[in-house]
Amino acid sequence: MYDFIVIGAGISGALITRELSKYQGSVLLLEKENDVGNHATIANSAIVHSGHDPEPNSLKAQLCVRGNALYEVLEKELNIPLLRTGAFVLAHDKEEEATLDMLYRRSKTNKVPDVHYLSIEEARTLEPNLSDSVTKVLSLPSTKVTYPWEVALSAVENAIMNGAEFRKNQTVTSIDYKDGIFVVKVNKDECLHARFVINASGAFADQVAAMLEQEVPYKITPRRGEYFVLDRRVKGFINRTLYPVPTDKGKGVLLVPQVHGNILIGPNSVFQDSKQDITNTKDGLNYVKEEASRLAKDIPYNQVIRTFTGIRATSTYKDFYISSSKAYPQFIHVAGIDSPGLTAAPAIAEYVVNDLIKKLTPLVRKTNFNPYREKIKMFHDMTPEEKKEAFKNEPRYGRLICKCEKVTEGDVIQHIHRIIPGDTVKGVKKRARAGSGICQGGYCEVDVIKLISKELNIPLKSVNYYHQDTPILLKETKVKK
Amino acid sequence: MYDVVVIGGGAAGLAAIHSAYDPTLKLLLIEREKTLGGILKQCIHNGFGLHHYKEELTGPEYAERGILSVKDLSFETMLDTTVADVEKKSDIFHITIMNTELGEAVIQAKTVILSTGCYERTRGAIQLPGTRPKGIMPAGSAQRYLNIDGYLVGKKVFILGSGDIGLIMARRMRLEGAEVLGVAEIMPYSNGLTRNIVQCLHDFDIPLYLSHTITDIKGIETLEAITISEVDTHFQPIAGTEKTFEVDTLLLSVGLIPDIKMFDSLKFDVSSLTNGAIVDQRYQTSIPGLFACGNALHVHDLVDFVTEESEKAGRFAKDYVLKTKAEKRQLITIDPGDKVRYVLPQYLDITQNFDETVLSLRATESALRGTFNIHQGETLIHSKKARFVAPAEMERLVLKRSDLVSEAPLKVSFEVGT
Repeated sequence: MYDFIVIGAGISGALITRELSKYQGSVLLLEKENDVGNHATIANSAIVHSGHDPEPNSLKAQLCVRGNALYEVLEKELNIPLLRTGAFVLAHDKEEEATLDMLYRRSKTNKVPDVHYLSIEEARTLEPNLSDSVTKVLSLPSTKVTYPWEVALSAVENAIMNGAEFRKNQTVTSIDYKDGIFVVKVNKDECLHARFVINASGAFADQVAAMLEQEVPYKITPRRGEYFVLDRRVKGFINRTLYPVPTDKGKGVLLVPQVHGNILIGPNSVFQDSKQDITNTKDGLNYVKEEASRLAKDIPYNQVIRTFTGIRATSTYKDFYISSSKAYPQFIHVAGIDSPGLTAAPAIAEYVVNDLIKKLTPLVRKTNFNPYREKIKMFHDMTPEEKKEAFKNEPRYGRLICKCEKVTEGDVIQHIHRIIPGDTVKGVKKRARAGSGICQGGYCEVDVIKLISKELNIPLKSVNYYHQDTPILLKETKVKK
Repeated sequence: MYDVVVIGGGAAGLAAIHSAYDPTLKLLLIEREKTLGGILKQCIHNGFGLHHYKEELTGPEYAERGILSVKDLSFETMLDTTVADVEKKSDIFHITIMNTELGEAVIQAKTVILSTGCYERTRGAIQLPGTRPKGIMPAGSAQRYLNIDGYLVGKKVFILGSGDIGLIMARRMRLEGAEVLGVAEIMPYSNGLTRNIVQCLHDFDIPLYLSHTITDIKGIETLEAITISEVDTHFQPIAGTEKTFEVDTLLLSVGLIPDIKMFDSLKFDVSSLTNGAIVDQRYQTSIPGLFACGNALHVHDLVDFVTEESEKAGRFAKDYVLKTKAEKRQLITIDPGDKVRYVLPQYLDITQNFDETVLSLRATESALRGTFNIHQGETLIHSKKARFVAPAEMERLVLKRSDLVSEAPLKVSFEVGT
């Protein structure tokens, strides 16, 4: 019997679990995938928005601005990467300039710090590759960029350090409520019990809610967003996030410098039925290119190393839907977390615990909560002294396996053995970046497979690409002595 | 301080160090893997060495010849060692190397030869549509898993791109019991050697879909199916021509790119046509003392020419380091003209003594017969008739010093017909 079961280890679920781990009581985080954050959390623009865009007095506006500030705390406590890039919103004509003025006023209402206009000349000095057609620029200095997936991973690991439990490959198949207790069935066979259930299952939130609720107050209408990733060699092409003025379809196609030096270009916004079809389409990518040309000129598309698609968990409810269930108050909906969900996530976690759960049950803070999680420092980022010391203790730091991203065998081993182990090829890629460069694993994939096999003492044929039962090496062909 | 450091111990590096060897010089060969030989080690098919050794060898045999040729020469070799960075400071190259003996260390050299080979273009680079499940990989990776590590990566296979590795792997997977459903090539002609089309596809009844590309990929966790479509002359898919294949593996053979990323700090001039360094006839890059050869310079279809080119690069590097006085270069450009994709070298250094030099080039279209012309300014200075010209097969022209009529730029073009 758990006090809290959180469903979904995306950024919201991860940070809610960590927030709950500050208090006495047992917490279990369930994830249906083979790792944390495999859906919207890994595939988004990675921006910590300033809060210039959400409608005033909405939960989105409130939690976005608060969340932005909380990232500064997370940076210190969880050692997550945070780039203070700032952002420009770009207008191209009188009509767009009017929208810009509206955004300026909205930013003031939403209490976005330091927002101001820039002259075209000033803007161009700061961003020389700005498109020639830009007529007016609004600057948002508090906009930042992070690595969302690492935020989720770090939050869950820190929660585990503080007593929370994490189980992956657990699909919730039914939820019942009996005598004040929720019965959460996973993988159709095991029943788990909890006093509270927090439904943070992203695009699947309505499906999960419908397992318990007669009437779910929202429906998730998934929206696809497609992106290009440019190699980190383009670092400096732009230094800030570039936004167009928003339309009713959302924030539009953006250019975003990433924490590892890459640049993201996207997303488009297309409603689709599937909650998990992450197809890239030719039309979608062409649209992204066309729109991006309004932001910057001569975008180096010859440096594209990857394209991807993410799915936003947009709901029919206009705002975030974060609320206790009407029928079962201890069932808490955290739904419709589309943009600015990443930014808001730390504030969502606070809100769920302080404004919803504490209204229903008293919570007692742990005296020994440890908010800190040490970063696993990559060899490449170490000082010469640190490198010497690390190499002395682990000679495999001397073997560079990913030339593109300068990842050593020692680095990969650290990530294979961390609290939530990188036990798949993509799991290692997301943790250690081996395979994230221009050759996309062409060189290092074989080394990564062998390292996982050796370190975790599993056969090569059992090393998965990412999901369960996805081995890359299928069948042995050589006769072994 | 080393006189010459060769980075990469495959066919190119072995040939380069062989010819750079001089008993008075301090030489070093650096290899990323635990054994020399490079990519040849996984190319267990035959067809190598016909030009250079006048006999047909397998890849490992060809590599062995190279290794044996340097066996008795006294130079240092560092295996299992990767170059992380190279910088040039006041005429000296500072090479950051990494291995498990030294950790990270910096060595110095007067001359460096880049012979790091190439890497495979990925699906991201060609922006393939569809989902991103497990089961899609470059053909060379599948070849490595099969031939070196002894594992088959799939049972129902489709191949995108008719590069030589794709063709070789079509046959190889079939021989290991996998079903190979076809090869799609976006161009109206194959990108592989004719002999590979015949021996790897025709002989095994594997269909080749020319002017076709992949327009959809299905499968969330593992690959389930791919769809190909015919393309028009602008490479746009034609609606209604879709064919779907249920496969668990998609191998990509969509191009090779010189692997020179670890030399970014050097900032030498790179050709947008070859993706390798821009060099003169001595294979010297825009940075004095920095030479490049083999697939790290431009992608070859035959290793024999890698060897030939790298032997020259090694020799020129040796001459460079033995020369005592500084030299001044005077470069004239050699540009690709009509129906020629690229020409290498891109420059001729006319201060150098040379009787003749070989130009490597590729035509942009296939022709049964045609003529390659070299113009200097307006003057036609060299012509060579050629048969069975194809973009996939590298052409070579011999330019004699005595052909030159001025110091004007050179242009190489191809004329289809007799």
